[in-house]
Amino acid sequence: MNFAQFQKLPAYLRWPVLAFVGILVLSIVQFFTDQQLLTSTTTIQTALKWAMPILIAGLGGLFAERCGVVHIGLEGMMILGTWCGAWGALQFGSPWWGLVSGIVGGALGGLLHAIATVAFSVDHIVSGVAINILAPGTARYLSERVFTQMDGGSISQSPRVESLGDFTWPILAKGPDLLGKVERLDWFLISDLFGVLRGLLFQMTYLTAIGLALVPISAFLLNKTKFGLRLRIAGEKPLAGESLGINIYRQKFLGVIISGGLAGLAGSFIVLELAGLYRQNQTTGRGFIALAALIFGNWKARGVLTGAVLFGYPFGLSLRDLEGTATRSLLLVIAIALLAVVVWALSEKNKADAILAGAVAAGSLLFFFGTETAPKWLPGTMPYVLVLLVLVFASQRLRMPAAVGLPYRKGGS
Amino acid sequence: MPTAIELIGITKRFPGVIANDNINFSVEEGEIHAICGENGAGKSTLMKILYGMQPADEGVMKVNGVEVNFSSPTDAIAAGIGMVHQHFMLADQFTVIENVILGSEPTKHGVLDFDTAKAHLANVGESYGLTIDPDDFVTELEVGERQRVEIIKVLYRGANILILDEPTAVLVPQEVEALFDNLRELKAAGSTIIFIDHKLQEVLEISDRITVIRRGKTITTVNAADVTAGDLAELMVGEELPSPETTESTVTDTVALEVKNITVLDEFHRPVVDDVSFSIHKGEVLGVAGIEGNGQGELVDAIVGMEKPESGSVWLSGKDVSSHSVRERRDEGFGYVPKDRHEEGLLLTAPLWENAALGHQTKAPYSKGMWIDRKGSRDRTDEIRERFDVRSPNADVSAHALSGGNQQKLIIGRELICDPKVMILAHPTRGIDVGAQAAVWNEIRTARAAGQASMLISADLDELIGLSDRIVVMFHGRLVAELDPSEVTPRLLGSYMTGAALQGGDELQGGDEMDGSDESAGEHTASAMSETAEGAQ
Repeated sequence: MNFAQFQKLPAYLRWPVLAFVGILVLSIVQFFTDQQLLTSTTTIQTALKWAMPILIAGLGGLFAERCGVVHIGLEGMMILGTWCGAWGALQFGSPWWGLVSGIVGGALGGLLHAIATVAFSVDHIVSGVAINILAPGTARYLSERVFTQMDGGSISQSPRVESLGDFTWPILAKGPDLLGKVERLDWFLISDLFGVLRGLLFQMTYLTAIGLALVPISAFLLNKTKFGLRLRIAGEKPLAGESLGINIYRQKFLGVIISGGLAGLAGSFIVLELAGLYRQNQTTGRGFIALAALIFGNWKARGVLTGAVLFGYPFGLSLRDLEGTATRSLLLVIAIALLAVVVWALSEKNKADAILAGAVAAGSLLFFFGTETAPKWLPGTMPYVLVLLVLVFASQRLRMPAAVGLPYRKGGS
Repeated sequence: MPTAIELIGITKRFPGVIANDNINFSVEEGEIHAICGENGAGKSTLMKILYGMQPADEGVMKVNGVEVNFSSPTDAIAAGIGMVHQHFMLADQFTVIENVILGSEPTKHGVLDFDTAKAHLANVGESYGLTIDPDDFVTELEVGERQRVEIIKVLYRGANILILDEPTAVLVPQEVEALFDNLRELKAAGSTIIFIDHKLQEVLEISDRITVIRRGKTITTVNAADVTAGDLAELMVGEELPSPETTESTVTDTVALEVKNITVLDEFHRPVVDDVSFSIHKGEVLGVAGIEGNGQGELVDAIVGMEKPESGSVWLSGKDVSSHSVRERRDEGFGYVPKDRHEEGLLLTAPLWENAALGHQTKAPYSKGMWIDRKGSRDRTDEIRERFDVRSPNADVSAHALSGGNQQKLIIGRELICDPKVMILAHPTRGIDVGAQAAVWNEIRTARAAGQASMLISADLDELIGLSDRIVVMFHGRLVAELDPSEVTPRLLGSYMTGAALQGGDELQGGDEMDGSDESAGEHTASAMSETAEGAQ
């Protein structure tokens, strides 16, 4: 079966196959580098948690860009989400309220972006950058007014907040712990598969479950409903929608506000599940990584999930991998993936890509053999490197919404 | 016959212009009614008012006898009016069915109900003889098919009054006939059709009655059977129409431009221009016919030096200029009128004198040494404005203040005033009115008489036939035929452009509308084909 045939398979067959291939590569690398961590329950669990803010914010970007609005301001809306998330949880005494208020905070940022870009035709990048500057300032100002009055709070940080809690699947991941048993047997590939599965089912936070559920929900909304069709026409050919009586402004406002709400949710995830409190500059550029995941995922919900997992994984791994040896073996994984790109490029008779991929693969291998432990900056760099590689090798397959970033005026035809 | 649409005293003003000035006419149910007028006569504004995209400032509009007041297309759609826009209103990355249902989507439990939609689409298609695969992506469709989607889109909403805004502008003659067949079927099924166009033969062929608009005013409504194209033209411009015909040949023996075996590859390494060779003599106009996207644009880019061809060479007056830059080629005597004056021809927000200096900015009188010579540029611009009749208040207004025709005259003047040896003209009269068109044709003829070699690319077949000394047809990146304009008809040219004449010419020979002259054209087909075959060997 060649690549083109594989691409024609239905999604529910294609994605498990891709996931399996991914785990297979990890297993092989683990086998040769004598590692346990790459596919262990704890790594997967952490990686998943770290992938969630990227995923949720990426889905936010998806809604904005599919209705034609560039969303460089995701980072700022996430910051609003972090502050509002912590404030809501403290004010109303429940993390669920934190969640709601985080969403509202982000959505307000989205509303601002929509007013600027849709109603006043401000350049989308300019408005986004402005929001990225405005949001941390607003959060600091509000912290001074609110958190400094609280016990354990200061201008740059809030008192501790509770998590939403988690759950573990019985029988499979606890009690008899069938998956765990197999994982501990340490069989090549089989144990790795079970480890990954157990990582998904063991102590999964409720918020992670919500985040994962948002992927099919977003895809469904965008592709199967009237709302989604009208939202997408705003990003593809707004004049066509207008000529059929669709209020494009409405669609764009809705898309950008939903987008902000999701970014806010991603922000409150960081507060509630990763940090346990609000801290200044807590988003550390995840908004931009989410944007990278959106591009990596070709403006599709499932693609954003793949991007988020790929980008979140190195972070999760590095947190578990104190010596940096497991992170180092990721270099080998990248080299293998690039060699696959070489084979693919050669089959497409694309020499330039093959040479480039080969060169980067060789560099990655050299780096791998030249070091004992991964440098600290490696996991943080990986998302950007991955996105660059995707842009270099697959940019012809990427297709952004046709009218994204273009100003729209009613009756402007 | 009951009246489907009646307009009484419709007036629409924009800052500084009256687009529609007291428009009055009525359309009867079940007729094909053409609205005729020059570019800028106010047809499109009128249609936007009819379809609710813009409100009228004054006047009354009645649909089926009832006064209406549309505030958006939704109201017009509800009143049974549908519009097929000149520029297709289709999202390329949507499927046909998604494009069709948009705005009136059937749903089941909140989910889009594609089965119902497809069944309805098939119904509509069957009753009007329009077929299309609902699951095709629009980006995969031909121009004619896209237009069919547009018509289906309108019918799907149950519209019985169809407005078609210059529907034939993008079609080749064969596609136009298919469209007209569709329109006749629609009429037979009881639909009312408003057809906007300025191609007179087409208007006479398809419509029952014709309303002529000139400078925003309704001039008159006539029965198509009672008038000739000449009558209509006079009504439209208020004077005799100019024609693009050239008189005697000025072709000399000196070769000015020679293009040898040019091949240009696209990003997938497929040839878009495939081994093209030709030469143009001094005093000759070579017409290049072809449906857009058959490699004309890439060929032009290769000749003027904007794209490096995979192989082949370009010779100017016996000198190989293949390795020269655009700048060098222009200095050596190339002039270029790009196909899209807004995209490549002008800086719309810059003043006229800056625009006039574009492409010549390194030379006197536009510059002195490394400095721009403002006075010299302005004087030169005034010279262009005068000689080429660019109607504008002064050289300092920005280019977007000019009408399309005057913008085009500025571009042509900018190139011609430097006396190029070879002029590349890509669609020089696209989208400009009849008066400006005649002026442009005149300039081309004058330059030709003065010994300039021109390459003319145009979608206006009458223009090609009228101005060219020779016509070559480009199809799938190759020159497939060389024709004598004195013997060729637009119809025959069209069949070459679509490739129909190359597949044995059955369509032409077997056509039942053939008369004597077309049969001789058929013979011509055979000779052109043998030429092509030789060329290929």
